[in-house]
Amino acid sequence: MEHEAGQPVRVQGGSSDGLESDRVSRVRKLLFRQMLVGIKDGRFFLGNFYCIDKQGNIILQDTVEYRSTRRSSPSPMEQRCIGLILIPSSCRTSCHVDCSIDEQLSLLSLPET
Amino acid sequence: MAAFDRAADDAPTTVQSRPRIPSGDNSVWADVSPLLNAACQDLQEGDLIHGDNFNLFAAMSALEIMDPKMDSGMASTYYSLDEAIENGAAPVPISDDKTTDVRCIIDIMDHLLACEATWHKGHSLAQTVYSCLYLLRPERTSSHALLHSYCQLMRATCKAVLSVVADSRTHEEEDLFIMSYGLPLSGDGNERCLPLLNAVEETICRQLRACKTSSKRRVTEDIEPLQNNPDLEEGYCKALLCRLRFRKHFYHLLMSMKRPQGGGLELAREHIASCISEIAHIQKSSDFLRASAPEMSEKNIDNTTASGCQPIGFDASLNCRLSAPTPPRAIKIFCFEKALEYFVKLLHDLDIICSYSLDPSLEAALLFVVKFQKSQPDLVSRAHLQLLLVQNGKLFGRYPMFSMITRAAGLPEVAENHDIQKNEFMMQLEQMVVTLLKIICTNAAWQRRKLGKMLQDWRVTYVQLELAFKKEFGNTSSNENIGFKIFQHILVWVEEQTYWIAFRFLTVGFELELYSDHDYCMVYWYIYIVLINLAEKKHLRIGMSSGIGKKKTKKKRDSLKDAGMNYQISAAVKFLQSQIYLAEGLGMMLAALRNERRIFPPQSPFSTEHEIFIQQFELLLKACLPDGISYQTYKESTAQANFSTLVMCDYFKEAQKIAKELKSNFANDPEMMAELRRIELVAERNNIALTVISRLGTPDPSVKISFTLSHHPFFATAIVKRS
Repeated sequence: MEHEAGQPVRVQGGSSDGLESDRVSRVRKLLFRQMLVGIKDGRFFLGNFYCIDKQGNIILQDTVEYRSTRRSSPSPMEQRCIGLILIPSSCRTSCHVDCSIDEQLSLLSLPET
Repeated sequence: MAAFDRAADDAPTTVQSRPRIPSGDNSVWADVSPLLNAACQDLQEGDLIHGDNFNLFAAMSALEIMDPKMDSGMASTYYSLDEAIENGAAPVPISDDKTTDVRCIIDIMDHLLACEATWHKGHSLAQTVYSCLYLLRPERTSSHALLHSYCQLMRATCKAVLSVVADSRTHEEEDLFIMSYGLPLSGDGNERCLPLLNAVEETICRQLRACKTSSKRRVTEDIEPLQNNPDLEEGYCKALLCRLRFRKHFYHLLMSMKRPQGGGLELAREHIASCISEIAHIQKSSDFLRASAPEMSEKNIDNTTASGCQPIGFDASLNCRLSAPTPPRAIKIFCFEKALEYFVKLLHDLDIICSYSLDPSLEAALLFVVKFQKSQPDLVSRAHLQLLLVQNGKLFGRYPMFSMITRAAGLPEVAENHDIQKNEFMMQLEQMVVTLLKIICTNAAWQRRKLGKMLQDWRVTYVQLELAFKKEFGNTSSNENIGFKIFQHILVWVEEQTYWIAFRFLTVGFELELYSDHDYCMVYWYIYIVLINLAEKKHLRIGMSSGIGKKKTKKKRDSLKDAGMNYQISAAVKFLQSQIYLAEGLGMMLAALRNERRIFPPQSPFSTEHEIFIQQFELLLKACLPDGISYQTYKESTAQANFSTLVMCDYFKEAQKIAKELKSNFANDPEMMAELRRIELVAERNNIALTVISRLGTPDPSVKISFTLSHHPFFATAIVKRS
């Protein structure tokens, strides 16, 4: 069922394993970039994008955790370094990548699925 | 990025998806969720998108967010301490009703005591004592003298205990103990905490007196009562007083023990006695507190308070993020009874330390620690003992190590200040003695590992000292030079000490249950070998210092065993002889049982007997303790053991005989008498077992032979049973 969405294309000069969908290779280009992931309980994690699996679980490196100090928002944030973390897709509510405005436009333009 | 901030402020609903965390210069946060979701659909099951440096093994160590066992940042009841306080989780005063206020404060004190015991037992400070919100904000309680003084003293006590444990470095395997990052330990001047507590105590004393007299004579005093209910006044005053006094004496005790050179030990003992009597009062107050607890109050399921009520103002989840990088651990706070029991044991252990005579003797100090360790003291008391033993590189901070070594080696006092102590290997030896003293104060597991490793250092130092000795004095066998004598004596002492460490290393293995029944044969055989050498060196050293020692010992074994013939053998060596017989007897009996197929070693696919031998004794073999010992020697010396010859050898009878004879030498030493009785008992029982087995003749499958350590910590007793 995965194949009906995007046609596998040969990545030119890219990954060694040859066949890879355009969307996968675009995600691959995000690796090692600063990624900001929000989760259900209101915390955010800012770290280097290290890995993602089929289920959408994300691993971030050198992560900083941001959390509100009060339930009512907006409230001051407190932060701490927590290193290598795995964020299960089930608790992820948002995901942003640090990029220039030009790049943002190209990232956002997903081909119709 | 400014635009983002504003956008977030304007529309709070978008906070979730548009964080106010700044992106880099000239860049924005682009939402990639749709892209990620789409890409995931294109992936095959088991596929990952990752870079070249990806390492699955390393990735496995990632903390899993929202897993309660890994994620210490998970939001709990409150998001922060401030929020908890604003929501009234820790009110000051706890109640406007003074009776309720006092009752709640007693619950807080009790729960803190339970937390403190749990902390001492190796949990993190943040999750135990500092789960108390009142402790976390020192300034908040200042309007409430009673609560404030107690909290201040609690913080000061934690700081004092923490510094002792951190300084002694006895906590290596219990390293959660000293983690205190981010906790207000000193906060307000600790030295000011006692005057306030004393003032509070004085007030309550007067209130107690007032209520006692007023009940008799109905005199209205100008003293405001502690709380509103006159019927409960006396009970609450007493309950508070014993709790405050316990805190005060416990703090004084810690301070006295910290004094240099053991100068405060006498005083410390007085405070220990006071602490123990206050604990008895605390226990006595329980009935009153339970009876006066309101029926509607929340039940304390862990029973951490005397009253059985849930204490107010505790939340362990608020600062569990402070325990990073370790993940939060599930802990159970001790119940109140158990906490009191812990403190009583701690106080008794500290009392043993304080009553030590501080004899200027290394041997006495080492034996004292070994004896002390038998009662399995906890971390806090072991740390205190270690700090007392070694201060500024001196024994008890009083006696230079070199002079202690020369004394132990039986040298005259002139040797204590000899220039030889500047020899680099002598200095190395001093350092090793300091390390040894520190190591034997640690917990059994850590201690055994370190002792095993240090054996090689002792061996190497011995060789280096011997070389230095030869370089200085050549190969002459006799010399009246004091330097010659110092070297000669110290060399023997180093060997003796090395075997003493080896013996301790082997016996601690029993305490840690490192040996299986099937390893006993080789363990006792090795203990026998080590003891023979230890006895030989000890005999030589004692002989040298009393001037009757022979220059070169031949094979000492036979002369040593013939105790009756040699009147020069000291009681200490004789004691070792009884142990030698016991170890040899056990080793040979086990070997005979194996040789005659009465017990069968397990057929393990994992390790052969040879491999087990190496695993058990690797550190001893590496240090050549003694030279020329190998699995081969073990096999050869046990191969011929059988019951017909074993009965003739009378190992156990000899051991029993020597133990009996020695009793007159140690009549004033109850510990030693008990040890001799144990040895006698084990020898007697084993002798009976041996006779029974040998009478059975051919191996009988219905007879089961097993070994138990119920009579002695490391000498087993054989049990013969017919099933």
